[in-house]
Order: sequence, then C-alpha cells, then structure tokens
Amino acid sequence: MLSRVRFRRLPGRLSFVSHFHTSYPSWAKVHKTFKLADIGEGITECEVIRWSVNPPDSIAAFDALCEVQSDKASVEITSPFDGTVKELLVKEGEVARVGSGLCIIEVDEEVAVSLEEDAPSASQQNNASSGLQPSEAKPKEQTPFPTKRRPHPLDPNISPEQQLLLLGRNHANVLATPSVRHFAKQKDVELSLLVPGSGKAGRIEKRDIEAYLQIGISATNTNSATSTTSKDDPAEDAIVEFGRTRWNMYRAMTKSLEIPHFGYSTSLDLTVLHEILPIINSHIPRHYLPTSLHPPHTPAFSPSAIYPQPASPDVPSSGHYTKLTYLPILLKTLSKAMLEWPLFRSSITPSTSTSDKPTLTVRPNADISIALSTPTGLYTPTLQRIPSGLTPAEMPKRGGTVTVSNVGGIGAGEGASPVLVPGTGIAIVAIGRAKWIWDVDRGDGSGERRLKVNVSWSADHRVVEGAELVAFIESWRSWVEHPQRLIAEGV
Amino acid sequence: MLRACVFSTWRSHSRKRGLSTAANNTLSPHHSIYVSNSSNPYFNLSLEDWLFRHKNHKEPLLLIYRDVPCVVIGRNQNPWKEVNMVASRTTGVPWIRRRSGGGTVYHDLGNTNFSIHLPRSSFDRHATAQVVLRAVRSLGVDANINDRNDICVGKDKVSGSAYKIVNNRAYHHGTMLISTRLDVLGDLLRSNKPTMETRGVASVRSPVCNLQQYEPSVSHEGFVEAVIDSFRQEYNIEDSTHTVEENVNTLGIDYIHKGMEELPRWDWAFGQTPEFTYNISRTFDWGTVTARIRSKHGIILNCSFELPDGHQSISDDLVQDQSRQLEGQRYGFLDETKEGIQRMMEGPGAEIWQWLKMEMDT
Repeated sequence: MLSRVRFRRLPGRLSFVSHFHTSYPSWAKVHKTFKLADIGEGITECEVIRWSVNPPDSIAAFDALCEVQSDKASVEITSPFDGTVKELLVKEGEVARVGSGLCIIEVDEEVAVSLEEDAPSASQQNNASSGLQPSEAKPKEQTPFPTKRRPHPLDPNISPEQQLLLLGRNHANVLATPSVRHFAKQKDVELSLLVPGSGKAGRIEKRDIEAYLQIGISATNTNSATSTTSKDDPAEDAIVEFGRTRWNMYRAMTKSLEIPHFGYSTSLDLTVLHEILPIINSHIPRHYLPTSLHPPHTPAFSPSAIYPQPASPDVPSSGHYTKLTYLPILLKTLSKAMLEWPLFRSSITPSTSTSDKPTLTVRPNADISIALSTPTGLYTPTLQRIPSGLTPAEMPKRGGTVTVSNVGGIGAGEGASPVLVPGTGIAIVAIGRAKWIWDVDRGDGSGERRLKVNVSWSADHRVVEGAELVAFIESWRSWVEHPQRLIAEGV
Repeated sequence: MLRACVFSTWRSHSRKRGLSTAANNTLSPHHSIYVSNSSNPYFNLSLEDWLFRHKNHKEPLLLIYRDVPCVVIGRNQNPWKEVNMVASRTTGVPWIRRRSGGGTVYHDLGNTNFSIHLPRSSFDRHATAQVVLRAVRSLGVDANINDRNDICVGKDKVSGSAYKIVNNRAYHHGTMLISTRLDVLGDLLRSNKPTMETRGVASVRSPVCNLQQYEPSVSHEGFVEAVIDSFRQEYNIEDSTHTVEENVNTLGIDYIHKGMEELPRWDWAFGQTPEFTYNISRTFDWGTVTARIRSKHGIILNCSFELPDGHQSISDDLVQDQSRQLEGQRYGFLDETKEGIQRMMEGPGAEIWQWLKMEMDT
C-alpha cells in the first residue's frame, strides 16, 4: 500500500509526527447491564417467563439466559457475554419493557489504554521505527475498546447501524415482497440500505439488490465523510469524520508499525513484453470476449465443418475482457517466481498466544493481493492462482502472501515505499509507470531504447532476508524479461 | 398420443418434486420440506423442535403434520385455566404443553398443522401468514388475515398461530381447521374458572369454523399440496418433499426421543405453569368457606381460608394446619401418603379437604 504519510520505514530514520497513539491491553471487571433488545415486529414489552440462571452462576456467551413471551411469541434469549450473573432485574412473571435492563452480568473486559503524547522526540520515534512494540509513555486517558468478538445480535451496546446489520430487522418503511426479502437475505444485503427501491411506492425490487451488489459498498460511508464540510464557513477548519474504509486503513497502518520493513527498488525491462502484447491481444480466445464482440458471422471455412469443436468453457460475463495489459502478465510471472520460492508463498501463522515461537504457513499456491483504490476507499482483494474476472462474492477471505499495488496507473511515480500491514503478507510491491528510456548498457555500446517500469518492494524483515528478496526479484525478472519461457510451459 | 404426453408430464413432475422417504437411513434435518406421516402429537412436536434446532439456520423449512385428538396449550399457559380436566379425562383426550407461545388449540385429524422455519433476521410473521393464506385462497376459499395475524373466513377463525424465536432462527406454526369436530373442541376448551387468575397468557376466545364449511372439496391432502406449492414459490425451493415416519430410525434420534419423554412429564406439563391464584367458595351445612390458593410452577405456595363467623365445627387451628399441609404440595397432585395429609382427609376438616381436591382436579 502506498504510504501517503511521509513515514519511511528504514531503521534509524527519524520520523516527524506531532501526535502518536499507541495502545496496549489491560483487563478490568466491568458490570454490564443486558437490556431487552427490540424483538422486532412492533413488540414493546415482554413477560419474563423463566430464568435459566441465577446469581452468582457463571455464564458463557450464547448460553441460555431466559425465556420471554410477548403476544404469541415465545423468545429464547441467550447471554451476549461470558461472565458472572450478578443480578436479575426482572422477576419471572414480570413484564420487561424493550430497552430496559434484564440482568447485570460481570464481565472481564479488555480495556485498551490509549496513550497520547505530544511533540516529536527522536529517541522514541527510533524505537517505533525499529519495529518493536511501541514503547510506553505516560498514560493520559483510558478509553474502553470494543471487545474483539463479533457482537451478539442482542447486545445493547452496539450502535444501531451495527445492530441493523446483525439483525437486519424489517422496518415498516422498507417495502419489499417476501421473495425479495429472501433474495436479499441470501445475498447478505441489508434491505434498509436500499430504501427507496425502484418498484411501486418505493418498493425494493430484485434488480435493486443486484445493482447494489455491483457497486459493492453503499455510498453512505463517503456521504458521512463529506457531510460536515458543506455547512461550514470556507475560511474555517472543517471537521470531517473518517469514512469506514479510511478508518480501517488508519487502524491497519497503526498496526503496521509492528512490522520492520526494508525496501528495495529496481526496474524491470518490459520491451520484449511490449512487442508480444499486441499479438496476444489480437488472439484473445472467443470465450473470453464479451458476447458483443463475437464475430458477427461464421467464417466461410469453419474448423467445425465435419465435427463440432470441443465446447469452449463457459466463462461468466465478469470474466470477459477485450485487452490484456501488463499487469496480468506481471502478476502471472510473479506467481511463477512465487512457485519457485516457498518463502514468498508463506505467511506468519496467526496464533493466539504471543509467547509461542512463531511459525510460517507455506501455501501450495501463489496468493496475491491487489491493492484497489476505489471511490469508497482502499481494498485488497486476493487472487488465488490468478483466475480471470472474480466477483466480490468469489473473493477468498484470506489475504495473499504478496501484495501488488499498481500505482503506475495513477501517476508517473518513480519510487515508492509501500507499507505492509499485518494480514497482507510478507512483501509488497508498488509498480510504477512504464516509460521509455535510453539504456546505455545494451546494444553494441551505443545503447538502445527500452521500456522500463520501476518496481519498489518492501518486505517484513522478521521473515525475509535482504538477499532473499533480491534473489526472488531476480527470479521474477527472469520471467518478465524472458517471457519466451512461458512458451516452454506449453511445450 | 395425448395419454403419453400426460404420462410423461406427470413423470417429470414427480421426478422433480418427488417424494422421498428416509426409510432405512437416519432422517436428515437438512431438507426443506417435511410431511409427517405420524399422528402422534408427542412425536410431531419433538420432530418440529429437532428440525428447528438442527437445520441450517439460514435456510427456510416447512413441516406439515396432523395429530390424533389432543389439546395443545401454549408454552406459558395455565392448563387448569385452559383445559377442562374432567372432559379431558372422560374423553381420554390428553393435553400437551407445546414450546411456542400463544394460546390453546384443539387438534384432531380434521386439523392440519403447518410450521414454517426461517432465519431470525428475515422472519416476518405477516409474510409467513401470507404464504398460508395464499394456499387457502388457492383452494377456493375467500380467506383473509385479521389483526392478530390469524387466518379467517369472514369473522370466523380457521387457523390459530404461535411463534418461537431463538438466537438465529424463528418459526411460525399454526393450525388449519379443515373438518375438525368443533363440538368436541368446545367441550374440552371450556374450563369455566372465572376466579382463577393467571399471570400467563390467556387464550383469546374466537368463534371458529372449518374450511369445509365454505368449500366442501377442501381436504387435508389438498391443503398440504397447496401449502407446499406456496412455500416453494415464496422461498424458491426446489428440494423434493420428504415424508417422515415414526419408526425405529426416527424414534432413535436422541433429541426427538428425549423431547417425547419430556413433554408428558410433570416438570414440563405442570411445572411450567406461571403463578396463579384461585379463589373458591363453598357452602357446607355449617357455613360458607372461601379458600384462596396461590400456586407457582405447579406448586401450592399457600392456601388461606376464610371461615364463617361463629363457626364451631371447624377450629382455626385445624384450618391453619390444613394450610400448612398444602404448602409445597403439587397443585392437583396431593401426596396422600404423607401422614399429615391423611389426617386431613379423615379428620373433621375432611369435607373441606375433599372439596379442595375436587376443585384442583377440575
């Protein structure tokens, strides 16, 4: 990922920053009131029929807590937390209103001590950039951190938006037929985000859901980020909230301070590829072409004259393309190098205990993540074995071991220092923009015009040695600069 | 030619949506449409609960079943209030407490039960009611849904509904009166205890009628098909229908087996009764006695007596003793082997005692 802050991650360098946030966990016993959440269907109160626990029983998340009844519905409520039951606030036979407390549970909570310190201080920044755990500074304030678990749907402490996403309640103003609701549920789409739909009286139709899936993420995040600026006087400072993806990037980058990076830049000679590309593009197999570009009439002499050709594979429309660019070829050659280098197919095994010696998990295939900068933010979906045309639903959840950022598409950059984030693999490369240069080393001494592209790598120095990275890059180069080797694969 | 066409259409229809029975294999909870061939209410309720807890919580499921005559009360109801115990005993029609909320219904083979299971987040009782409503309308009955989400024809209820909601799953189940013995229904559900006040849910009495009264051609089989079709359409289900037999295999499923055992046990049937009070009076030769019984979870918490002024045959001490003896006893199931109770039954307070026992047995 391209770092937009002027942080350089080489050891020993000073960093300039005015505020520096770190956090480390500590534990505290907290009393949480579990409130009767909205059961839905317009129900405002329930009678508590039966408690399955009594103080001071201990209880685990999702253990049966109590049963309530409303109207004709009998509802089983489970505990949202692990902890000890401290007090029952509503007796059996009594009525509890939605939103009022049902019981109090004592919970062990991870509380992140958020530390703030002002002004740069050279020694402390050095500590940070050498990649060790951020050093302690005087704690100024204590902020509770949300627990890492996915919140229980009835946890009253989660925000309404989160609860909506978890429970997906059908609001009265969300109009949709039951089959549309079911389709939305199948596709994991929150209907209230699509209001109003394109149907009669604002009804949400199936096509609205499909269109929504195409876009990917709702635009509400970007709206929230820009909404506060419009009202303010242009001469004054405006406070803008972090959109969701930018906030995730913020947190991920903060975590990336744990990783000692080192960098290495070189350029790859694309001249041979440049000559090959047009030939490849004029011979794209028919099944990869969009149907609109299929030749309108069959040729006069067809190879299928005496016997039908084997049926071409069925490629979904997301897999169609009209022109191959350098990036797919660079990815393919990178995957070839990764197959030769098990180290670059590995990632640090996620482990729950930090005291165990870490291990590397080597994958049999090359998984590469691509950095995607979209209107709503920065994402890194993962390609496995570089197939063509993935839809969001098909993207694997696990990050790749190597990440590629094609910033050359955006600007004529010549160098970059991409940043690794835990979970994005052990190395990252930023690919610049290819340009023609005069290479004096080639030719008969007078030089030659060559197409070169700059590639800047950063790698996790806990796992990768400098020499290993250089050697790996040379393997990659040998595929990129001699693509004829790919023919040997076919033969 | 015509016959061959019809035949082949029938064949393909049944191939696509054929019936399959888990005769020799263990029953799987992963199908989408189940029709139970058992008419044992204990089995059917336990089967329903098993499917509810074991099916993939994101997928819709439909179960249809019929029971031999029985009365089914809601999870949090008071059986003494809802069921005419005397009629139940004389007719031999048992009553059963189910696991979903709601009121009391009467089942017999003229009544078909449906049960629609869905993920909690997309569960909407109105939508599920519509699925069944469409099925009924497709049979030619001009039915509609009232504001309590029950299916009616005109002012008469033809169906009662109840719901159960857990963490990630919910179901709407209900009855459908096709050709039920409404006279038997009336007797069993008429318990007539106006002075019994319960904390739990009381049944909302409504006039009922059978679908056959409006459309004589309606049958159990026709209704089953119509509900299955409506369900398939609504949730895009292509799975074939599975029939369930009550046999060695299905009875061997531990969860079902345990459920069937639990239902008739005192702890579930009576022990789940919410708190209630019962005020009764009786005039004896010597005066009128009023008793106030308070019970919770099927146990008598206390029983206080009011005796007529200037009574002589019954002493206050005796009455106090009777109160004490009743405390902690199971309502309706006095432990007559207990010495203290035997004393009551024979002593001067025997009349009172007999009267109380009779009241509790009703």
